[in-house]
Amino acid sequence: MAAARQDDQVLTVGRSRLGTIFANTGGVLFALVMIFPVYWVLNTALKPRDEVMSFRPYFVPAHPTLDNFSSAIKAENFVEGLINGLVITLLAVAAALVVGFLAALAIARFAFYGRKAIILVILCVQLVPLLALIIPLFLMLQKANLTNSLIGVSLVYLMLLLPYTVWTLRGFIAGIPKELDEAAMIDGCTRAQVFWKIILPLTGPGLVATAVYGFIQAWNEFIIVNTLNSPAKQNLMAWLLQNQTERGTAWGPLMAGAIITSLPVVIFFLLIQRNIATGLTAGAVKG
Amino acid sequence: MRHGKYPFIIGFLVVPLALYLVFVVGAYLQMFQLSFTDWSGFGGFHYVGFDNFVKLMEDPVFWIALRHNLYILIAMPIVTIAIALFFAFLLNVGGKSRGGTTQGVRGSKAYRIIFFFPQLLALAIVAVIFGRVFGPDRSGMLNGLFPDSWSPWLFLADERWALLCIAVVLIWQQIGFYVVLFSAGMGSIGQEIYEAAALDGATKVTLFFRITLPLLWDTLQVAWVYLGIAAFDLFALVNIMSVNKGGPNNATQVLSYQIYLNAFQNSQAGYASAIGVVLFFLTLTFAALTLRVTRRDAVA
Repeated sequence: MAAARQDDQVLTVGRSRLGTIFANTGGVLFALVMIFPVYWVLNTALKPRDEVMSFRPYFVPAHPTLDNFSSAIKAENFVEGLINGLVITLLAVAAALVVGFLAALAIARFAFYGRKAIILVILCVQLVPLLALIIPLFLMLQKANLTNSLIGVSLVYLMLLLPYTVWTLRGFIAGIPKELDEAAMIDGCTRAQVFWKIILPLTGPGLVATAVYGFIQAWNEFIIVNTLNSPAKQNLMAWLLQNQTERGTAWGPLMAGAIITSLPVVIFFLLIQRNIATGLTAGAVKG
Repeated sequence: MRHGKYPFIIGFLVVPLALYLVFVVGAYLQMFQLSFTDWSGFGGFHYVGFDNFVKLMEDPVFWIALRHNLYILIAMPIVTIAIALFFAFLLNVGGKSRGGTTQGVRGSKAYRIIFFFPQLLALAIVAVIFGRVFGPDRSGMLNGLFPDSWSPWLFLADERWALLCIAVVLIWQQIGFYVVLFSAGMGSIGQEIYEAAALDGATKVTLFFRITLPLLWDTLQVAWVYLGIAAFDLFALVNIMSVNKGGPNNATQVLSYQIYLNAFQNSQAGYASAIGVVLFFLTLTFAALTLRVTRRDAVA
């Protein structure tokens, strides 16, 4: 019996029919658990109110309707939230890419005194529980007249996005052979030209991955924007929560709102799904 | 070649370092300062020495919150890492082997997207969604799925289960990231190692414990630190999902939410800062301990 099993394994790595069935069933079941709440959101968003509140579960809406979506869009501050969210997110991501790319260049391409310390500092920022900082952050921005402003929130987001951006781009830049720099400099490039004409284009995929990751983080944030700004200057996440507390049982429009607010991120993700997974984990795996 | 290096270094690093000094170092210094004051959040304040910390030691809610953080700190990473490891292994090495290379189970690409999907949703949205999943009457998703003869479960409104519900949501949201993280780690383990072991008659279980796990150790360590930090945070979910502000009866009270309540609702910003100081040292200690205890001598 043992010998027979051993033979089997020489041909096919430690596999049995039973094991394969078990693996597949487990995978499917768990995938269902993971996806079911998302399906339920879609389902709820498409149902008229009486079906949402019904005690009999409707797995498919009997009378599908888009009313929930239109009532979400027409709700107070929705359009403002959408625009604010875009402005804050794009500002923060653009700034993080520029600042982060330069910092990553310095760390990846130069040996200098204090380099290790800077890397340590970058990593330590990620350890900070955000809420511990919210009181002093609020005070500082208040002093600078940046509360209730999109710029103030973007600044805080920039700070939050930087560690990840620098760390990931550092990995990408370190992967570009230094010989390329040297060859270009022998051909007469200045150092600045090397950065601009050689390293920047080659870091392209890394920039895309970090941009998308940054977009997701900034777009999804709500604690800071909620604390610093009044409702007219908040993003869609804060809008969603505001609506949840104000209209407790209007689940249909709320779920429709949740879908609309997640849409940009989900579309981004599906477009460059492979890149983001690599980018998201690049820093952690190498760290 | 060395000529002209420092202008670049200084120019490239001045902005991030300035931001860091102001927003992180500056903010922490201010938090430490405020923790020694009776500041309410408005107007002036007096220095009160260690009064806030003495009060903290005598505050039963603080201890409840701390205990909840520690429960989640212990349970959540173990469960998350175990499930994520299992599925990452399944997706990478779990399937048949063709042409001598092991493969993931059928449909691993689809799984990867499905598992990762919750990671895209904002915590705000996740919390709102699960408010519906845990709806305490028959219109809630889970209660709707249960047989009619059961009386509806209260979930978040039940003292005994509320914290567990929140932990489940956290695991649901985070697991995809770790499946992808571990998959990436497993992908960098050479196929020939698995092949050699398989030729020697190793089973899948042996492959997992003898090859995958040891070679993945560094990644696990990183995962543990990330998850631990998440366990110290928890603010978003508790803020949105908990019944009656960290209730019922403080059943979902956690430190970060105590900071928020004291600072913005009870007008005790000084006291809230003291909790912030405690949270700061707890997180730091945790991260340092994890990295130290789990450190193994590097092979290379």
